[in-house]
Amino acid sequence: MSGRWQRLYRGETTADFFGRRWWGFGLSLALLAVTIGSLFIQGLDLGIDFKGGVAWEAPATKELTIEEARGVLEANKIEADNAKIQTLGSGDGGRIRIQVGEQTPQTRDAVQSDLAKKSGVKTEDVSVSDVSSSWGRSITEKAIRALLVFFLLVSVYIAWRFEWKMTLSAIAAMTHDVVVAVGIYSIFQFQVTPATVIAFLTILGYSLYDTVVVFDKVKDNSERFAAQRVSYADITNVSMNQVLMRSLNTSFSSLLPVLSLLLLGAGLLRAVALQEFALALFVGMATGAYSSICIATPLLTIMKQREPKYRTLIGQVSLGAEMTQLTTTGAPVSRRSSRAAASSEGEVSVRDEAEPVGTAAQRAAAVLSHPPRPRKKRRR
Amino acid sequence: MARRLLFSLIGIVVVAVAAVSANLIAGNSPSLGLDLQGGASVTLEPEGEFDADALSVAVEIIRQRVDSIGVAEPEIIRQGDTVVVNLPGVKDQKRALEIVGRTGEVLMRPVLQSGVPNDNPSTTTVAGATTTVAGATTTSSAASPTTLAADTPASIAPTTVPAPGSGLRLVKAAPATTVPETTLPPATAAKPTDTTTTSPDLLLATPYTTTTTLAPPTPEVSLTNEADKIAILSGRDGLVYYAGPAGADGQVFENDAGAEISNGGWVVTVGLRDGSQGEDAWNALANECFTKSQSCPTGQIAIVLDGEVISAPVVQTNNFSGNVQITGDFSEREARDLAKILEFGAVPVRFSAPTAQTVSATLGQDSLDAALIAGLVGVALVLIFLILYYRRLALVVLVGLAISGMLQWSLISWLSERNGLALSLSGAAGIIVSIGVTVDSYVVFFEKLKDDVLAGRMLRNSATRSFQSAWRTILAADTVSLIGAVVLWYLTVGAVRGFAFFLALSTLCDMVIAYFYTRPTVILLSRSRLMNKGKMLGVSARRVLGGEPTLEGGARS
Repeated sequence: MSGRWQRLYRGETTADFFGRRWWGFGLSLALLAVTIGSLFIQGLDLGIDFKGGVAWEAPATKELTIEEARGVLEANKIEADNAKIQTLGSGDGGRIRIQVGEQTPQTRDAVQSDLAKKSGVKTEDVSVSDVSSSWGRSITEKAIRALLVFFLLVSVYIAWRFEWKMTLSAIAAMTHDVVVAVGIYSIFQFQVTPATVIAFLTILGYSLYDTVVVFDKVKDNSERFAAQRVSYADITNVSMNQVLMRSLNTSFSSLLPVLSLLLLGAGLLRAVALQEFALALFVGMATGAYSSICIATPLLTIMKQREPKYRTLIGQVSLGAEMTQLTTTGAPVSRRSSRAAASSEGEVSVRDEAEPVGTAAQRAAAVLSHPPRPRKKRRR
Repeated sequence: MARRLLFSLIGIVVVAVAAVSANLIAGNSPSLGLDLQGGASVTLEPEGEFDADALSVAVEIIRQRVDSIGVAEPEIIRQGDTVVVNLPGVKDQKRALEIVGRTGEVLMRPVLQSGVPNDNPSTTTVAGATTTVAGATTTSSAASPTTLAADTPASIAPTTVPAPGSGLRLVKAAPATTVPETTLPPATAAKPTDTTTTSPDLLLATPYTTTTTLAPPTPEVSLTNEADKIAILSGRDGLVYYAGPAGADGQVFENDAGAEISNGGWVVTVGLRDGSQGEDAWNALANECFTKSQSCPTGQIAIVLDGEVISAPVVQTNNFSGNVQITGDFSEREARDLAKILEFGAVPVRFSAPTAQTVSATLGQDSLDAALIAGLVGVALVLIFLILYYRRLALVVLVGLAISGMLQWSLISWLSERNGLALSLSGAAGIIVSIGVTVDSYVVFFEKLKDDVLAGRMLRNSATRSFQSAWRTILAADTVSLIGAVVLWYLTVGAVRGFAFFLALSTLCDMVIAYFYTRPTVILLSRSRLMNKGKMLGVSARRVLGGEPTLEGGARS
């Protein structure tokens, strides 16, 4: 076990990500199917910020229970059946949140003061939020427009910085992440609030960020292997193994604060606004790291390996020790013909996955673009 | 090279420390959004037709009203046509929202009297008016006696346009501080029909007395600019006006007011609407003032915007047809402002409030605590993880996060003070999220460094090389984040915008820190003896030069 960790730490794992691409694709397709199904069947639970309405939030006391709140609504001639009343948190800091459709400002204020009276606090201690439905629509429209512009700009940027095939894969992976995150909201019927939208946008950014880092490595490696006959699947496999540790590290250090937000902020401190936000982020960041390796890069490989340069090498994959050699020396195993490599591939991988020891002596010149200078004696 | 690195390192530390201490000395601290400290917020959207100039006047009106409510750190943001008013910590939330959302209006009132406010507290006995009066004395506006003239060929001729009321000019010249001269202008010097007006001190000291004698039909004096009552209003020119019930409102004018230079001075011209609500109403008022009847003894018509007299021109004719010219000693800005205000009056911008929100102080406090604690614990967890993983090198991250934190805190504090930026819950979330991105820069760099060391380079050689390659990655990834932040900032409203701002801020900080702090620190450390002792990254070079190919990992397992 320690050996595996050691290899992971040293970036010498030899997992065949591309060969197992259908695992990732399959999982993602299943997730997407569930999401789309859920969106069709139950849709999203949009908060008042998107469909308009009034929400009150009052401290829950013995005097103010859900039943009492219902009574207050009825006293103000609001259909209590359509109202959504829930308690947030419990004990001293608990709150009652009541959401109804659009109301006149007079009714809004009347309910606010009634609720305050019931729970025995000042009127100012009852929070109110009032949104018209047209505003909600315009917010949604603006967000979608912003999203499209963002897609466009980022596509242009990635196409310029990398290439358009990377753009396509990155956008596909990003869409996947957002759809999965939206799916969580639909499946569990969490309410979509502006904070949720922010979380979705963060997921977009994060997913892209992660993909860009992986693609940067792929680009580096394709330049590094440019002179050799190395299939694109090899290039991406090597790259992904090299960035695996970084991806894990980054995901871990990004998820820790979010986790603390989720567990501490929402769990212990009952800041409910934070809870759903943190949850969306948590799911999105996890899928973001997953998709950059399991979706974006395999997609890129599928597209790239049809290019003339790589076409003849389709199906030729270095595994196990061969991959180690590729990673460490930058040169493919040259002794064998590609055909021989393909035939002995299975056997090699079985043996070497347990212990990927480097193969025969490797020339130092191949290790680096230029050989390290001999160590000099330190001056001091 | 080494000296330059050292310089950059010392530079960034000095900048961070200086920024923090400067903010501490100035007493700046991040101001909290209303979702973190409680308060009221309303989004105003113009309804129906309006024009851009009128909207900016409307926003100005809102600003004045918010100031009059007395909120510590109000935030009035114009986002396209939408105006967001945030009133953190406001006490009477309901009233505040109502005041802010009311439509501003332009009224035309006949001026009964006007004068320099008496700022000597002992004599200022007007109960409610004191506040308005006091504020107005400091105004140094040159809004001067203005004249009104019908825009007919005859009135343009110099002979038919008399010089502006000399009495008003006298007032303007009078220093506002000396008590004897802070008197009412004998505005109607030509024809003092009303004896009560000749006692200016009386007016300022006890306007109620004047009221009864001056305007018997409407004994009520309004200090709040109600249209059908007599009102005491402060003027933009520093005078106080005692004005009768409004004879007309801004809608007598067409929506075509413009300022231009004519006869060597700025002139504001505006068309009159046809019909009883336009020309007729205006001419009725103008006639009263032209004849200096009891209801308009000064001959002046005050153009009042939301309780403030913008200009009080003297009427020069009793019959206006088509349009009205206002001349006077205007500066260009004053003329343009007046034109804008007339336009606003013609088409007042009515706001609807598509969202209104009040957050109780306790709810805000809870959210703040939660965000703070969660953020700190999150950072602590990340640090523990990094220390476990990178050991000694994690110290670099720790100091880096501290510097980054100092820079961000200073920037936010400074912007809070300067631009009324408020840290909201979504902004706090943006910062917490950015911790991950910041740490990632280090991870990318360190992993690269590790690769190079594994490949057999010496640490001191690999540090520079690795940074170059890591820097490219960091730049690419951060650019994507920045694009996202900028797009969100420009195309969305409300909470999403706050989030975008803080995301951009922390991304920029990340880039600065990576280049000016991480780079010199790691390169310098890689040359020091301390870091080269033992295996800094827990790895040493692979032995690849012939012989037994032993990878440490493989050998140990």
